[in-house]
Amino acid sequence: MRSKEVLKYKILVYILSILIIILFQTTVVDFIKIKNVKPNLILVYTICASILEGSVGGGIIGLFAGLAQDILSGKILGFYALLGMYLGVIAGMINRRLHKDNILVVIFFSFFLTVVYECGVYFLSNIGKEVTNIFYIFKNILYIEALYNAGLSIIIHVLIIKVNTKFEIERKIPAKY
Amino acid sequence: MNRFLSLIKNKYFSLIFATIVLIVIILISMYNSGSFTGIKNILSVPLSPLQKLLTGTGQKVEAFFTTFKDIKTLRKENEILKTKVNELEKENGELISYKDKIEELRLALNLKSQFEDYEIIGANVIAKEPGNWFNVFKIDIGTKDGVDVDYPVVSSTKGLVGRIISSDSTSSKVISIIDEDSTVSGWILKSGGGHVIVKGDLTLKEEGLCRMYYTAINVDVAVDDIIETSGLGGIYPKGILVGKVKEVREVSNELDRYAIIQPEVDLKRLQEIFVLKKKNDNLK
Repeated sequence: MRSKEVLKYKILVYILSILIIILFQTTVVDFIKIKNVKPNLILVYTICASILEGSVGGGIIGLFAGLAQDILSGKILGFYALLGMYLGVIAGMINRRLHKDNILVVIFFSFFLTVVYECGVYFLSNIGKEVTNIFYIFKNILYIEALYNAGLSIIIHVLIIKVNTKFEIERKIPAKY
Repeated sequence: MNRFLSLIKNKYFSLIFATIVLIVIILISMYNSGSFTGIKNILSVPLSPLQKLLTGTGQKVEAFFTTFKDIKTLRKENEILKTKVNELEKENGELISYKDKIEELRLALNLKSQFEDYEIIGANVIAKEPGNWFNVFKIDIGTKDGVDVDYPVVSSTKGLVGRIISSDSTSSKVISIIDEDSTVSGWILKSGGGHVIVKGDLTLKEEGLCRMYYTAINVDVAVDDIIETSGLGGIYPKGILVGKVKEVREVSNELDRYAIIQPEVDLKRLQEIFVLKKKNDNLK
């Protein structure tokens, strides 16, 4: 019973944090650009949360983050939701294979998955069109964004861990007595 | 029913099921941008005011910091500007006399003023697209205020910003002319003129520029030529200022030649914009 309640709170916290991060991403993040490229906090959050939660939880988190993103500011409904879901599933697979609390794992996969995800966004939204500037894209956008995201993943990872351990403690202490 | 529930619990089935549902949603919203407005309203309506607040605060903080940075350069600039004001005042006197002349000629030709058929609705930019690929932003008016998809958007200086691509009841999304998916049919404002196509380009977007294609052989383009909308295509009315030619790129193949356009509007620092609404369009 108690664990169910904790799960409920956990879901609520995830939904709230996704909404808050999207609010920030679509408004304030625009003012902290480095070399005209902004980081993608939603992407980092999905990756970090999925690494902790596994591929089922990751898929759900990615789906909802993408859907909210589509609704609040996006071109086509469902586009980010689909990509976000697969991102979550793939990031979640790391959960089983590697030690998930290792910060280096988080940083590396934030970098790597940013490149994969943003390539996905770019090429899928340009289906049927000529894509000529691959080199430009890598040098001036992707590489900077991936570095930026990898840096921010440290902060977001620590924040998620902090929130999660709070739940673990709340769940464990009453169980002892 | 039980069978269905056990299927849902299978994660591979759920993944495929969700994928198919999402692809269907994507296809529907690609061909009919007005669909799913009800669902979108649930999130968009309560969060729009928050987005407005955050963007507003961000703009204020940025303005605050740039003030400090600017103080040094401002003094120097002030002196230069003072001398320039003197020059311009002289020039202005001449221009006013020209303006009167043009006004007379216009009356003589019975030309309508540019946006006479349009109602102008003001709006604020409240949010931007989250990623780095597109240039779409959100404004704080929606179908409730009478705006709808494909309405043209201009700045306070009457330069072209873009058009609305979707709107829910209290907010709308605007695609700007530097987005890769934006195409504007334009006209070179000089004797002889010529039709051109102004398109957004990913490599130029970050500098706030866009590309202009002109395939017709008799069209001649030079730096500083002014481009306005041609009115072809039916979305943008004729005669909105798009921008100036910044650079002409010569390519060996004449069909491939293009120029780089500096838009009239600084599309990276937009705060207030205006939506043009056709006056006899109330039936829609």
